[in-house]
Amino acid sequence: MEVLSLKLVEMRGITKVYPDGVVALRGVDFEASEGEIHGLLGENGAGKTTLMRILYGEIKQTSGEIIFSGRAVSFKGPWDSMRSGISMVYQRFSLVPTMSVLENFYLYLSSFQRVGIEEVKRRAEDVMERLKFRVPLEANVEDLPVGVQQRVEIIKVLLSRPKLIIFDEPTSVLTPIESRELFRILKELREEGIAIIFITHKLREVKEITDRVTILRKGERVGTYETPSVSEEELAIMMVGRGIVPAKRSVSSPGGEVMRVEDLWVRDDRGLHAVKGVSFELHEGEIFGIAGVQGNGQLELAEALAGMRRVERGRILLDGRDITDLPAEARYREGLAYIPDSRAVGLVLEMNLMENSILTSLRSFLGRGGRIIWPRASGRAGEIIERFNIVGSVRSQVKYLSGGNQQRLLVGREIIKAPKVLIVSEPTQGLDVAATEFIRSTLLKFREEGRSIILISSDLDEIFELCDRIAVIYEGKFVGIERSENLTLERLGLLMGGVNA
Amino acid sequence: MIEDLLSLTSQALVAMIPLLLASVGEIVTERSGVVNIGLEGILILSAFVSSLVTFSTNDPYLGLLAGALSGLSAGLLHGFISVYLRGDQIIAGVGFNTFAYGISILGLINTWGHHGASPMVSKIPFFGAPLYISPLLPIALIIAIICWFWLFRTSSGLRLRACGEDPRAAEAMGVNVLRTRFLATLLGATLTGIGGAYIVVGWIGQFTRHISAGRGFIALAIVALSGWNPALSIAGSFIFGFFDAISLYLPVKIQLINPGLNLTSLSYIFRIIPYLGVLIIVSSLFRRGRAPRDLGRPYIKE
Amino acid sequence: MRRIILEVSLSIIMSFFIGYIMLILMGYDANIVFSIVIREGLSNPTYLMIRSTPLILTALAFSIPSLVGVFNIGGEGQFYLGALASLLIAYVTGNPLLSMLIGMAAGGLLSALIALIKVKRGVNEVVTSIMFNWMIYFSLLYLISTYLFDPLMPYQSVSVPKAARIDYLRIQSLSIPIIFPIAVLTSLAMYFLIYHSALGYRMRVVGISPRTARYAGFNPESSIIVSMIIGGAMSGLGGSLLILGHTHAIDSTMSGLYGMGFAGIGAGLLGRNNPIGIILSSIFLSMLLIGGEAAELRARVPTELADALIGMIVIVLSVPYLVRILRVRR
Repeated sequence: MEVLSLKLVEMRGITKVYPDGVVALRGVDFEASEGEIHGLLGENGAGKTTLMRILYGEIKQTSGEIIFSGRAVSFKGPWDSMRSGISMVYQRFSLVPTMSVLENFYLYLSSFQRVGIEEVKRRAEDVMERLKFRVPLEANVEDLPVGVQQRVEIIKVLLSRPKLIIFDEPTSVLTPIESRELFRILKELREEGIAIIFITHKLREVKEITDRVTILRKGERVGTYETPSVSEEELAIMMVGRGIVPAKRSVSSPGGEVMRVEDLWVRDDRGLHAVKGVSFELHEGEIFGIAGVQGNGQLELAEALAGMRRVERGRILLDGRDITDLPAEARYREGLAYIPDSRAVGLVLEMNLMENSILTSLRSFLGRGGRIIWPRASGRAGEIIERFNIVGSVRSQVKYLSGGNQQRLLVGREIIKAPKVLIVSEPTQGLDVAATEFIRSTLLKFREEGRSIILISSDLDEIFELCDRIAVIYEGKFVGIERSENLTLERLGLLMGGVNA
Repeated sequence: MIEDLLSLTSQALVAMIPLLLASVGEIVTERSGVVNIGLEGILILSAFVSSLVTFSTNDPYLGLLAGALSGLSAGLLHGFISVYLRGDQIIAGVGFNTFAYGISILGLINTWGHHGASPMVSKIPFFGAPLYISPLLPIALIIAIICWFWLFRTSSGLRLRACGEDPRAAEAMGVNVLRTRFLATLLGATLTGIGGAYIVVGWIGQFTRHISAGRGFIALAIVALSGWNPALSIAGSFIFGFFDAISLYLPVKIQLINPGLNLTSLSYIFRIIPYLGVLIIVSSLFRRGRAPRDLGRPYIKE
Repeated sequence: MRRIILEVSLSIIMSFFIGYIMLILMGYDANIVFSIVIREGLSNPTYLMIRSTPLILTALAFSIPSLVGVFNIGGEGQFYLGALASLLIAYVTGNPLLSMLIGMAAGGLLSALIALIKVKRGVNEVVTSIMFNWMIYFSLLYLISTYLFDPLMPYQSVSVPKAARIDYLRIQSLSIPIIFPIAVLTSLAMYFLIYHSALGYRMRVVGISPRTARYAGFNPESSIIVSMIIGGAMSGLGGSLLILGHTHAIDSTMSGLYGMGFAGIGAGLLGRNNPIGIILSSIFLSMLLIGGEAAELRARVPTELADALIGMIVIVLSVPYLVRILRVRR
């Protein structure tokens, strides 16, 4: 394998400063060669995606140059870079959901050249043959499971015979089995001489699939190494600037039953069953984890428990009381709290901090005749700011807060109500390491006070770090509920992929 | 009886032309993601401009052209505000309706000194008795079919539709979303402008204060009812053209039977037929979720 | 509150600019027209208050639903209906209070219908509102010319009996039409409702983010319907106050009523959809309208100029950038 590969792309001294003064990238150098898988590692917010979007032509750099195939280039937009042979597979796919797979392929190819729909079909068949998997051409994209959608995206990108493909956190929507399959495909593509840039924040993946890795931290390049020559610990230190300290979970002695779910059936927005007969109990002082890749019914389950979504069959009991038909506001008063996975849903971004802090406990802030007692709301907002270290004031508009501060507000607002049961979904998604550590230790502290948490997450490290018992959700059903001590990462991965070993 | 039906049908065929042109134009615009509530204003404005031009030149075809150009200008304004300045499309449209109404009546008063109507102007001749068909009818039908073919059977039509479904994905696929939406708005407004001019030079023969009387909104209803499909809007335009014709026809018929009634006041109550028709049909037939996903939302590039 | 006053003042100043430019472009002597308009508009405070009253209410009719994300373009029809209902009740019972309440109910019923069609069938409220507007317009024309006309003055409807008319209050040399404080108090009540009550809070959350509203346990559909009922009631009340306090009858061309709903949209936007701002913007717009009528007599500028101006202002206000310039930073 000691072939001197050609340097395909070189980025020199890339700096990106946004109009509001934020410096996303500072003098970053980066290069990738043909036939290699080059990892781009960094925590959330380090600038990895920004750097690649500059390469792809979506954003313009403030200074610095890009050399592609030996020539200096300045892309005016994605279509420009696409024509030069650079493609990007996004985290949120760039497919039109309401159109069919074939129509999406047609749309994509027609921006390169005049081509008929028959030719598009032929090329798609070619690619599917090479990669040894198929996707249904006539189906509408939004009807396909996320894993299949990603394959559609990959095929699409290959239709134009690119020289360089950038993958942005592709495994975040895949089960461990699907990830392995993806890696097989990446290796095939590498054999064909395509340069692959693999953006990730997961150390394990870097070690598993990349040939070389470049680490970014806070917008600067820390270094580039041959992957076999660095360990996960060394990578972690370079990524964060210090060792990552996982939260310490004390051994628990859970108390009595505080919540029970019996044979729950829930439909999704399109009328199909998303939750198919889920049952479990929750005890005082425990964190119960529901592990699974997004799209297996967790959202519908969480919403049904919170009261946002109708339960078709089954029962939910809180402290012995049947709350199945109670609306959300009533459940929150009974001691249930829910932190959704999207801050756009959990917060009203256009309102200020004070107005947001009363969102899920409105009744406690009302006086006679439905009047809102604003001074009381202001007091609550101040409490949340203090206890959860939020950078902002009572009257700050929430949309101007950073993601980490928004999440602290969201989590803080619910925890400060001291609910009996807290349902929380993807609590640290997209957050940097400092905010992640804070939120996780907050959740553990909450558990130590004898309260209960249902944690829904696709981040397996998080699940192991925080949970006492773990259930795996796959296609709307629980495929195993075990104490976390009795589970290994491999077993968890298999269960998530639907393999009941 | 047959005579009545024939006369009603030919009336309907005339009334459907502005509805068809406006709705087909708006279908293209909305398929790209932009909603133009200002169709009513465009109809009024282009009706006025074409009446002015036809009056001065005595050439109704120039009047049609003038109408098209007024539509184009309105499209430039709405397109610029909605697409590039990311204005609220509904508010901009409502504002435009009021503005166009004011400007047109102002023009009416300044030109002819009359508050109600302009003098009669030359009209485009019809052909084919006993069904009097305007030459603009086949033209409008052809435009509708061409638009249908273009939207659903060509790659550029696909690209336009992608802008209305998911502009971010469309942009990532190399489509210039802003430019496509802007051009689609221009096209829709221009077609509507032709429709407005037609009301004057092909039908009523003069510009009056209530020349449009909600037709722009009926066109919007037709867009939704036809499922954003230009071929189906042909049927929709005919149906509402028929309602229009009936609302003018019934009071005359009733007065023939009962000469004692006052025609003017009687005709008022029948004027509600087209609007009632829209309301009932739209409320019962409309199906959610067939609109372009991103309709009405400004596209903001990061 | 100071912030809103500042923002509305900036909007008004911007409107002055727009109006000035438009006048020049249309070949009028802007200075003369402006001075006539401002002088005449402010010359008679009593008349200014009378004209502002219905405008405040039709502005609320648009603004309150728009806070929930619904466009109430049907203010025009709700206004007519309120006027008609009030006229009939006043004629039959001679009771102004009852007349006002029924006027509000009539407007509210119509807007509730529009809201139900939107919520249950998914039909966009803009189209249904306009259809209703035209239907009621023609129905009213029919009723007035056929059944309700005053035999002595056939160009208008029967009149509101003296007992039901709403009078004036004399303070020193100023004659205050009581309908004006009624409108202002209504507006203040709406302010409290929106910013200090649970109902208003829920409506605002629904308007900004329906998904968040569902998360919090608020029902977007009921907020939509309630806000529309309130909006329709406002417009209905506007029609009612106009009839009871000013014109006392509906003329057979409905010229006294026509356009008030749409002007309300302009006043609402100019007032930044805030009840306090609306009081200011309505007074400003009424000043323009009154001055415009005077200008018609003096400088031969037709009243439709006001329509053109209001329309252009609305178009400009639809652009968030420009609105952001007007936004006063905290």
